[in-house]
Formats: sequence, structure tokens, C-alpha cells
Amino acid sequence: MIRTVGANALRSYRQSGVVTRLAASSCVILLLVLATVLVSLSMGPVNISVDRVASIVLSYAGLDLAPFGRTEQLIIEQIRLPRIVVGALVGMALGVAGATMQGLFRNPMADPGIIGVSAGGAVGAVVAIATGMTGLFFLALPVFAFVGAMGAAFLVYGIAAVGGRFSMATLLLAGVAVNAFLGAIVSAIIILLPDNGALREILFWLAGGLDSRSWEHVRISAPLVLVGTAVIMVMTRDLNLLTLGDDEARSMGIRVDAARVLLLAAAALVTGAAVAVSGTIAFVGLVTPHILRLVLGPDHRVLVPMSALGGAAFVILADTVARVVIQPAELRVSIITAFVGAPFFIFLLIKNKRQVYSL
Amino acid sequence: MISRERCIPLASLLSLILLLMAACSSATPTPTATPTQAPAPAPTPTPTATLVPTATPISLASEFEGVPGIVDPTNFGWPRQVEGLNGMATIPSKPSRVITASVGHDEIAVSLIPLARLVGVGEATKNTTFSNVAHLVQDTPTITRDPETIIALSPDAVVTSPFFAAEGIDALSRLGIPVVQTDLIQGPEERIESILLMGYILGEEERAIEFAAEVRDRYDSLASVTDAASPKPRVLALTQYSDTIWTAGAGSTEGGIITAAGGINTAEEAGITGNMTTNLEGVIAMAPDVVIIPQPADFGAGEFRQSLLENAALAEVPAIKNGQVHVVESKRFTTLSHWNILGIEALARILWPDLFPNPIDYEFSLPGSVNL
Repeated sequence: MIRTVGANALRSYRQSGVVTRLAASSCVILLLVLATVLVSLSMGPVNISVDRVASIVLSYAGLDLAPFGRTEQLIIEQIRLPRIVVGALVGMALGVAGATMQGLFRNPMADPGIIGVSAGGAVGAVVAIATGMTGLFFLALPVFAFVGAMGAAFLVYGIAAVGGRFSMATLLLAGVAVNAFLGAIVSAIIILLPDNGALREILFWLAGGLDSRSWEHVRISAPLVLVGTAVIMVMTRDLNLLTLGDDEARSMGIRVDAARVLLLAAAALVTGAAVAVSGTIAFVGLVTPHILRLVLGPDHRVLVPMSALGGAAFVILADTVARVVIQPAELRVSIITAFVGAPFFIFLLIKNKRQVYSL
Repeated sequence: MISRERCIPLASLLSLILLLMAACSSATPTPTATPTQAPAPAPTPTPTATLVPTATPISLASEFEGVPGIVDPTNFGWPRQVEGLNGMATIPSKPSRVITASVGHDEIAVSLIPLARLVGVGEATKNTTFSNVAHLVQDTPTITRDPETIIALSPDAVVTSPFFAAEGIDALSRLGIPVVQTDLIQGPEERIESILLMGYILGEEERAIEFAAEVRDRYDSLASVTDAASPKPRVLALTQYSDTIWTAGAGSTEGGIITAAGGINTAEEAGITGNMTTNLEGVIAMAPDVVIIPQPADFGAGEFRQSLLENAALAEVPAIKNGQVHVVESKRFTTLSHWNILGIEALARILWPDLFPNPIDYEFSLPGSVNL
């Protein structure tokens, strides 16, 4: 596994032209991310011109371009920027986890929720809201959601590994069963809850959103998302070989079970961290890797990092639309990701029907 | 040939299927069917008039003229017809066992009929956080969303909100229970019309007129002061549940209270309709002079207020700069009954402390002129 890092991997990357493709696509998508960040920073209920936004951002690098107000600076620094960073982390996590799941299951319809992480996060969050824990301490909701997400992932993996023999088919079926079970728990809590306020809170959390995200949310999610993403990035060659089948992967020197468990754990970690700070945001983990696979091909060494950037751009853009389209009120980001993602996804499916079937 | 050993289980299975079929067919009761719980008396079938329409007192008729929902404002006898959101309902006789299945409807009913006639209320009406009459109905049986809990109490009239499930209304109607679904609309005139309509449905016309006059007097005495007061402060209602910040725009209960108290609803001014989510930047953009937080203390109202006051990004918002951020009693600001007059009065005291120097400490009369 660890052999993927180092000289052999680099040589293999050079020979296959991956470096060139990676560099080219990185440039394009990085520019896209930067553009979405700038657009997002300059848009909001309070009108702050682009040049003032640039002045505020560049002032952190010690550059003094133009004067700006203290309130404008605080709006950028304390309201818009943390929200954008959390959005980027969530998009990155969902994009990477989606690409990993689709590779591991060799199924372009797989998404990060397939191993119960999203449903587990929902149960954790719903319990926190229903028991009133959210009013007791600030980070109760993300902490409960993360514990729920990881608990569900361990449960699904535990079922798939019963008897000492791990099976992807059992993992998939266990994921379906655990998702249904956890969904029933959420429904039961919603139905039995006498308090309409808490009910509304739950429904809003389930709809996914990035409102009122702060630097605290960045601090708790960033380490988990970055570590998990790094692990998956390091293992993209293993992921490529796993898509060829277990025997092929073994013959290429991969410890199949260990690689798979590590990839699943990393995907669960990043998804759990994302769900904890944003609720369940639909479509990003499914659509982003899928679209990028149609454009860039199935090589995970390119696909995974590009899914990270693409997911980040998608969520930032969707969140910008969510908070400006009916300002000063706002929509939930998940509504926008589904509204934009679903038709675009259908369009691509129809346009590239033959290509999709060959994946 | 079927052997005897096989015949017995087969016969048992057949009987079971027949039993199930019989149960299924009886699960759709006709209006004359008895409710499933044996001790409950069968509801009165519609319409079996026992009284002929009485002569109309002219003063009574004029009070009920034009009240939406009353089909014939000259008919004060039984049966009488009311047009609700669920269509036409005929009430055969003066209801003696009443269920008004929403907090707002319960709050109105409590002011019109003796508590003994209100035979069931929802859990929310018993909850002091959400209901203004919770202390009066603690011993009243509890109903749930399941219509069976209502049927079990054998009501002879049910008044519900638009949020009551259509299936539930259908189930009650099929048992011959008259159901009137009404909306409780924000605004002084609409509140008074709701009282009059409820009084008409429950056969308490005179008490309804008396109580409507009491409510109208309180609206009028407030308006006589606030209408002339100026300049009108710009007020924003905010609540926060978990991380989501809510505001109340045009058509919302809180918005109506702000306007009635002599303020300008900044959320409405910004184009927001109903209760919508917003964010801190939205608060900065709306720049209110006063922020009210109609959120229960148990749900973090105090912490939310503190977070607004301490947020440096909000420091230039007039309400924050001047410390005009107030936690107010949520049940007075969110109820859909006349009880939000107490919310208007509380807000008027915040907005115009010189004009309302003393707390307005009386509530509402009960049937029999007993003050709450």
C-alpha cells in the first residue's frame, strides 16, 4: 500500500501522462474554485464592491490597496469567509468520498451515503436536537452528528466483516439495511416529538445548510477532512487497481482487504466530518465525480483530486446562490445542489449514454 | 382428496382470512357506526334538527353580519350551517362536548365556553411554553394527531386549524361528527371575526359579542396611542434554533404584532414574506432600530441575544449599538389568537416607554366574568 508513495509511483505517474493531465485539469478547476470564492465573497445582503473585497483579502498579505470599513472587513472575515471555507471543505469531502465509493463499488451510482454515514449523522443530529442538547453547548450538533456518522460506518463495516471474511456485496446490503433502520429511527423521533420548534429544526438540518458557519466549524472539520482526503489521495493507485478486480489487484501487489478498509475508513471519516458541519447535502458526492469522470476519464489519480476541487467549487457556488437569491432571507444549499445538480446530471447521462455504460 | 390433518389448518387459515376480510370491511365505518371504543356513546348523526330556527334578534344579527364562514347570520337556532375550509358543515344542536384542535382555537374556546364543555386539548395547549391557557386545561384529556383519540371523547363538534390532516377530518365526518376547519388570520378585525365565528359554532353568541367587544377595546386603546406616535421605529423579529436564524416578514404573526404596536417591520420592508431563514449579514443589511427575540428561554433565547450583542460584525447595527435587543415572551408573539394583544402591549412598552409607563397586567375575562 505504502508503495504507492515514492519513486515507483512517480515514475508510473510520469509514464502514464498523469502528471500532465493532473496539472492541466488542476489549473482549470483551481481557477474555477478561485473564481467561485471571489464571486461568493463579493455577494451578499450587504453591498461590498469587488475592489473592496480584494483590498480586504489582500490586506491579510500586508498589501494596502484601498480603504475599507471595519464592518465590511468583519462581514468578510467573520461571516462570509468561514462559510465559504466550510463549504469548500464539505464539497471537497463529499467529492472525494463519492469518487472513492464509486471506485470501490465499481458502480457510478454509489455515493458517500451508501455505508450509512449520512443516515448515522442524521440520527446523531436528530437526537441532539430532540433531547435539547443543542441548546446546552455550541458544538453539540456537529459532535453528535459526527459520532452518529462514524457509529453507522463501523456498524455497516462490522456486519460486512462478520466471521472474519469481508465482502463488498455484504457491505452494500448492510449499508442498505442500516440506512433503512436509521431512517426509521429519524422518522420515529420526528413523529413522536411534541415540540414543533424542534421538529422544524430537524427538518432544516436534514435539508442541509451552511448558515451561521463560523471559524469554529472550520477548526473541527478541517483536520478530519484534510487527513481523510490525504489518505485517499495517497491510495489512488490502489483504488485504480481495486476497480480491476480483487485478483488483478492482488497480482499487482496490493493487500486488497487492508487497502479497501483504509479507503472505506477515510471516506467515512471525511463524509462524517462534512455531515457534522453541514447536514446532509444532496447530490454533490454523486454528481461531482460522475461528471468529472465523463470529462477526465476513470483514472482515480486524476479523478480524486479533481473531485475534491470540483466538489468545493460546486458547494461554494450553490451556497452563494442559496444566500443571495432571496436575500436577506436565504434558501438551504441542498435545495440548490439538487435543483442544479439533478437536471445537469440527467443532461450528461443522456448526452453521454454510451460512455456511461462503458464505465 | 384432502386429508383430515391438512383439513384443520386449512380451515383455520380460511377462518383467519374471513375474519381479516370482515375486519377490513368494518374499518370503513358508515356515519351510523359506533366508535371502536365500547364505552364511548355514539355520536349524534347529522342532521336531526330538534329545534326550529328561532326569531332573529336584530342586534345579534347585525353583529354576525359579514363574518366569514357564517352561512345565514339571521339563523340563531339549530341546525345551523357554517362554511369552513373543509366545506359546508351542519351543526345539528348546541354542542355540549367540544374539541378545538389547535392552540389558537383552544385559547379562543376557553374564553367563550365553560371548561367542562372543552373535552380534549392537544399536548401543545397544555404546555406553558406555547400556550397562554395551559394552566386552565391541565386536567382536560389529551388528544393527539390520531383521530381515534378525538373519537374516543365523543365530541359533538370539532373545530380545527388548516394543519389538521384531511384524512382525520374525513374520519370524523364519516362518524357524523361536525367538523369545521377554520384559519386564524392575523389582524385585529380578523381576530374579532374568529371569536364571533367560534361563538356562533358553539352557540355562545352573546358571550362572543361581549368578548369581541373586550378584545376590540384593547386593540383600540393601543391603536389610539401608537397610531399617533412617531417616528416609527424599525423592528426586526429574530429567533435562532441551532444555527438557523429565522425572521418574520409580511403576513407573519410577529410582523402583525410589530405593525400593531406602532413599529415598522424591517423584514417586510426588505421583501420577506412569512417566516423565513436569514443570516447575520441579512441582519446588518436590514439595520433595525429594535430587535425582538420571540423565543422561549429554554430554547436559548438569552444566549442568542448575548451572541448578537457580542458579535463585532453587528456592532454598527442601530439595535445592537443602542442595546435594543429584547427577549419577549414567545407564546404572546406566536399564538394565532387574541392573546397576541399581550404581545402587542409588551412591544408597545418597549417601543414607546414614555407612552406606556406602567405594565399592562390584566389578561382576559372568562365566561361568567371571571378574570384569568
